[in-house]
Amino acid sequence: MTASTASASKSTVNVPAPERKSDLLPVLGRIMEYMSGGQARGRFLLAVFLRSVGLIGLILMPWLTGQAINVATAGGSGSELAMWCIAALVAGAFYLALSTVAERQFADLATRALENLQTNLFNHIQTLSLSFFDRQPIGELLSRVTNDSEAVARFYETAASQIIRAIIQIVLVLFVMLVISPELTVAAMVVVPFMLILTFAVERISSPAFAKMQEEMGKISGFQEESISGHKVVTSNRRQEWAGDVNDELAGSVFDVGSQAFFTSLLQFPLTTSLIMVMTVIVLFVGALLVLDGQTTLGVVIAFSGYAALLGSPLSDIANLSSTTLNAVAGGRRVFSVLDEQPTVVDAPDAVPYEFKGGDVVFDNVDFSYVPGRKILKQNTFHAEPGMKIGLVGPTGAGKSTIINILTRYYDTDSGRILIDGQDLRSLTQESLREQIGVVLQEAFLFTDTVMNNLLYARADATKEDCIEAAKRANAHEFITNLPQGYDTMMTERGANLSQGQRQMITIARAMVANPKLLVLDEATSNVDTRTEKLIQEGIMALSEGKTSFVIAHRLSTVRDSAIILVLNAGEIVESGSHDELMAQKGFYYTLYMSQFKGKAPGGAESGTADFIST
Amino acid sequence: MFKSLRRMLVIYRPYRGKLIISQVFLFISAIASLASATLQQRLINQGIEAGNERVIIATSMWMVLLAVVAGLAMAGTAYYAVFFSQGTGYYVRNALYRKIQTFSFANFDQFRTGNLLVRLNADVQNVINAVLYTVMLLLYAPFMLVIAFILAFRDTPSLVWMLLVVAIVVLALMALIIPRVFKAYDDRQNQLDDVNNTMQENLTGIRVVKAFVRERLEIEKFGQRAAALRKPAFAAAFLVAFLNPLLQGIGQIARALAIWVGGEQVLSATLNIGELITFTQYLALVITPLALMAIVVPFVLRGETSAERLFEVYDAEPTVQDKPDAVPLPLEQVKGQVTFENVTFAFRRPDGQLDPPALKNINLTVEPGQRIGILGATGAGKSALVNLIPRFYDVQEGRITIDGIDVRDVRQDDLRQVVGIALQEALLFQGKIRFNLKFGSPDADDAVMENGARAADAHGFITNLPEKWDAPVARRGYNFSGGQRQRLSMARTLTGQPRIVILDDSTSALDVATESRVQSNIPAFSQGATTIYVAQRISAVIDLDNIVLMQYGEIVDMGNHEELMQRSQLYQEIYESQLGAGMMSAREVA
Repeated sequence: MTASTASASKSTVNVPAPERKSDLLPVLGRIMEYMSGGQARGRFLLAVFLRSVGLIGLILMPWLTGQAINVATAGGSGSELAMWCIAALVAGAFYLALSTVAERQFADLATRALENLQTNLFNHIQTLSLSFFDRQPIGELLSRVTNDSEAVARFYETAASQIIRAIIQIVLVLFVMLVISPELTVAAMVVVPFMLILTFAVERISSPAFAKMQEEMGKISGFQEESISGHKVVTSNRRQEWAGDVNDELAGSVFDVGSQAFFTSLLQFPLTTSLIMVMTVIVLFVGALLVLDGQTTLGVVIAFSGYAALLGSPLSDIANLSSTTLNAVAGGRRVFSVLDEQPTVVDAPDAVPYEFKGGDVVFDNVDFSYVPGRKILKQNTFHAEPGMKIGLVGPTGAGKSTIINILTRYYDTDSGRILIDGQDLRSLTQESLREQIGVVLQEAFLFTDTVMNNLLYARADATKEDCIEAAKRANAHEFITNLPQGYDTMMTERGANLSQGQRQMITIARAMVANPKLLVLDEATSNVDTRTEKLIQEGIMALSEGKTSFVIAHRLSTVRDSAIILVLNAGEIVESGSHDELMAQKGFYYTLYMSQFKGKAPGGAESGTADFIST
Repeated sequence: MFKSLRRMLVIYRPYRGKLIISQVFLFISAIASLASATLQQRLINQGIEAGNERVIIATSMWMVLLAVVAGLAMAGTAYYAVFFSQGTGYYVRNALYRKIQTFSFANFDQFRTGNLLVRLNADVQNVINAVLYTVMLLLYAPFMLVIAFILAFRDTPSLVWMLLVVAIVVLALMALIIPRVFKAYDDRQNQLDDVNNTMQENLTGIRVVKAFVRERLEIEKFGQRAAALRKPAFAAAFLVAFLNPLLQGIGQIARALAIWVGGEQVLSATLNIGELITFTQYLALVITPLALMAIVVPFVLRGETSAERLFEVYDAEPTVQDKPDAVPLPLEQVKGQVTFENVTFAFRRPDGQLDPPALKNINLTVEPGQRIGILGATGAGKSALVNLIPRFYDVQEGRITIDGIDVRDVRQDDLRQVVGIALQEALLFQGKIRFNLKFGSPDADDAVMENGARAADAHGFITNLPEKWDAPVARRGYNFSGGQRQRLSMARTLTGQPRIVILDDSTSALDVATESRVQSNIPAFSQGATTIYVAQRISAVIDLDNIVLMQYGEIVDMGNHEELMQRSQLYQEIYESQLGAGMMSAREVA
């Protein structure tokens, strides 16, 4: 990213929307839509149905065993006892069988929902314009996208079906309890508000405590990351003791808030256990009084206490899953904000494919700003004729990279026109344009894949022969064949197992495979050894041969042979012309050029008096 | 078994009392839960069936009390479990990190930063979990089982076997399911990493994707990864969701069986109904702890593996250590002569083998106050050479002396105060600018710091910041440009006022004008200090009187610019490629 976009990003960084209670249900609904809407609706309803029917089996069991107890206490027959018990066992088997089917359905729906959400998100991101990516550091976007969709995933995979099951179970159990004995139901329900209040209270305390703990964990791992990857600095400055002390203090904070978070959340466990025990006591107590009063039988009371137990567990499940759900809503909100993002650069409705006619590029009074009101390019006008090499020079932030960004239409201009072979850039499809304009970027980005696949990446219909041919012309063939598996060698993350120079040669070869008609080169500033440098330069020359090319130069030596050198300063083209013309002008370019040689230029050019300027 | 975790027990020696209390609490909560169930028997037999209202009330009160006791005791266990697990985390994080601080460069080469960080994070977390669950849950099920067995033997000996059967069935089912859950989660995590990596590559390479118009390929690639995630995610989601209904179902089925078997005995009057109901409560009470125990075991296994990995780091010895009779090297007495005598040095690979030598037979003397440049391509051995002076590594052959004293004979702390090195990667730390500049010498005067910054050409941009010397520095210094970071890094080195200044390619991100300003400032600031400039860029050394030219680990030539231009072909090539290539091609074109 250029300095100009970097500074532009500061004012438009996406601040996460503040928590709003009001959109909780709509967001949750949108999350559930992936699991229960569209094609999934039928299967979702089926799963809910199976779940409900299965639960009826479970709920029959206390009643059936209650009947068995009545038989036992009333001194009934053994076969009658066996009948009720067998019925209960059958109900149990039925419950387990249907649970298996239903849970499989839910798990399938959940994972499909996740897959759809992930691919939707990814596919949508592909359509977004570069302005979206420049607006925030990629790392931030990445962690948002991955952490947020994982929060939603946890909801799909562990919470959704459990909550559905818990709700059905509560409704069914309550219904049965009311049918058996309204008095006992009231007695059993006495503890429910306590349970809900206490679990939510625990949640209210523990969930910010966990957030605090995450924050402290972030601090310590950040410090450890910084100080261990910077161990050379720590060691050479003899600050190991200090680092140990800082770490100690940070670990102490983690201990403090971690203990608090874990302890409060673990309190849930004893609270639920105690309250369910109390619930049983109340049911038995009230039941006992009712039995003494002759209003009910012991069997009913026992059965009822069984139901009370079946009510307790789904209640605590719902309380336990509330944080998962809230996290999913928070994550979902951000995922949907990305999904609702619209691309800023869109093809015109009547856009036509770009037709190459030699590569004539005209900038006509082009103004551009990343942020309204802060012009990065001012009235840029120039003409590149077919096959010309255009050098772009100037201090950092002068707008060199920006010219490239708008030429490839990653951004649209504010005013003015860009004509390419006489066709207005805005009237063309982005795809056709970018297929014809090759870009070799400063940072040699390679994918974690084989060398060959990295080359094949450049063009959908490229063959392996094309790639090898390109590699040869880019001077990359020799070292590639010397790699352990030649063209099939895996690049480790971002090509870390190759030298920087080698990675650059591969990117040049990749651009050759694409065989673009126009070329943009952002010259690398990296230091490579002399031999490699020479090979790279040869590769670039082969690549740009006969093509209209734009070269952003950091060392002036690479653009000396340009047909036109555009000298940019603060968004304006302050000088333009060939090297010799510009040198003769003794202006901005001249000063820039002379400062490189520190008075030791070849050919004895006397430059000791030239003012150094800082770029 | 659990060798590494047991090795950790030494941490808990001072807390043995607390450990015992935690398990006593656990035991109390087990007794209270089961006693409450026993009381049901009394409530039914002597209360309901005998029609005794007073017994009913009294028993109910007792049961409520037991519920409270059980809850409190459990909370007590939880408290200690958290104390022990978080305390372990604190202790291990600290001990391990301090150990890492004693490491030499070669140790870091062996372990790698990322690897150490994983151990400090994920592995410590695994050990914390293992401790938490062990303290809180491991003995709960055995306690419950033993007490339930005793009570059942007392009251309903004819049904005890069912307790055993249920315990075995639950454990067997758990033994079957839990490892699958863990495996499913591991698989899921691996696939998820794949998904996330694909996303990461796509986002970091988005310009390449767009430049080559390959969005469709990316979508296809990601679609495959996301689809691959579904299978393990399904297994994990299903198994976890199924556990709950499974345990509920088993509980109810066990109860039905018990009522059947017990009901027959009630009918034949060998058992009363209260006893039977109580027994069904025992059954219900042991199932959950058994399931929990089954869940704890894999956590403990995982903790053991992690503990092993932690000890691997903990047991590593720093490769560079002070001699027991190391002598002090007082800063003010050092003149600054650096001599390499027949030095041969090779890096060690992680497997312990030596790489081919990075330096071969180096002989070099830098006189006090001299300024020399070291020039060469990547891999020529320049950094290796200067890293030996502050003894970041030890040589295999030969020796390096400062004022004639072998660097291995002095204390590392003293040595590194004498030798200041600004490293290739200009890394800053989170904090203020002042903190960063005084990083190596916290007691330095502000005036020294400011002059150091002036010499490194950092004074200007620092004082332009609103907070000036107190301006915040983000992690790794990311809020400053590469050139600013390098200047701050040099200022940091200079603020320590070392007698030997090494700038290891630390002007590479600066433009030539700034670079030469810094070079001309330094001698005035660090009066009489020996200065060594390491560079790939010829402009960084072109003005120096003495340029050491390196190639393939050897010194191939030495002299000033004019001399080397005359006699060294390598030097000419470097010069041509860096300053003259454009001229050559321009000539060719013409």
